[in-house]
Amino acid sequence: MLMQAAQAGDARAYALLLKKIIPRVRAMIKRQRQFLPAADIEDLAQDVLISLHAVRATYDPVRPFMPWLVAITRNRLVDGARRYARQKAHEVNVDEYPVTFSEEGTNTDGDLYGDPDALKQAIQALPSGQREAVQMLKLREMSLKEAAVASGVSIGALKVSVHRAMGALRKALSKE
Amino acid sequence: MDTERLAEILTEDARPVRPLPQPWVRSASWLAIAFVSILVVVYAMSPRADLAVKVTEARFLIEQFGALATGIAAGVAAFATTIPGYSRKIFLLPAIPLALWLGALGQGCISALIQYGPSGLSLQPDWICLPAIVLVGAIPAVAMAIMLRRGAPLFPHVSTALGGLAAAGLGNFGLRFFHPQDASLMVLVWQFGSVFILAALAGVMGRYVLNWRSVIKASPGSAAVE
Repeated sequence: MLMQAAQAGDARAYALLLKKIIPRVRAMIKRQRQFLPAADIEDLAQDVLISLHAVRATYDPVRPFMPWLVAITRNRLVDGARRYARQKAHEVNVDEYPVTFSEEGTNTDGDLYGDPDALKQAIQALPSGQREAVQMLKLREMSLKEAAVASGVSIGALKVSVHRAMGALRKALSKE
Repeated sequence: MDTERLAEILTEDARPVRPLPQPWVRSASWLAIAFVSILVVVYAMSPRADLAVKVTEARFLIEQFGALATGIAAGVAAFATTIPGYSRKIFLLPAIPLALWLGALGQGCISALIQYGPSGLSLQPDWICLPAIVLVGAIPAVAMAIMLRRGAPLFPHVSTALGGLAAAGLGNFGLRFFHPQDASLMVLVWQFGSVFILAALAGVMGRYVLNWRSVIKASPGSAAVE
């Protein structure tokens, strides 16, 4: 009933449905992947919710809901295991990273940008839409959805703005 | 992000969605598209001269029924594989018409052997079958791929193999209306063989056609949080 209402666009019914199924999805994942840490179980639960949302049109209101949910959960678990196996196949465990060269440049922890002032100036020089997109998505690390809500700009437009802004920054900083 | 927050974000995107019709209903829509395209191709290629005689022959009708029923059953099964919650037994739905089709071709081979001896089972190259089946089945195959992508990519390889079998089965059904080749062994090797190869190729391409990444990307709410 709740899923049928959710398919019709009833946000309250959908919220209630998701609230009810989250513990069940977690329990299903825990039962089948007992060895996983809690954070990985949450990741898989989120995978299931995102997938369920994407294919919610495949639920047939005349058929029971639980087999539909269980089928998606199991499928995402199998997919997750496949992804994990693929990642592991390309990983090499090492006790210590070998130092290739003794020079300081090759042994720094990260690629830090050397001139924050130039970066600030380059950001200020961007058109306002691109500047806001960079500030929200890159500096404040907001999600696309959150940034879209905060700015009133669509997700697609934000993606375009940030992509153009990054291109402009790269160009501006490489000139200097 | 915690899971409860994710649920809130997904709820914000609770726009109405039209539930997908049942697999047999979707299959009927697909068949309507497929029949029109087959009709156009058969007309464009000119129907065979002896068609009026052929449609009165029991063996031709049984073989055509086998190909058509295999195509329809494989189509229903392909659509069902993209709906979560269906039993995996649905994968086997085309097995019965496929057996009927193969049985009819096998029986034709045995009859030819009894009637004409080993010369009744001569095999000549008939390379036109594969591209001709591709030609007749192309639009049904594209329509099938588009329709399958609206479902859940639970078993990508199985879904596309069944979809490929459906399109190639109908392709072969159409082919026999303009390609005058009725020797059972020739039909078995060149036509049934082509259908088998095309279904297998479609199955290999499963993950390119159907995958969770593209389904999630196509859904605005899911894509925003992925």
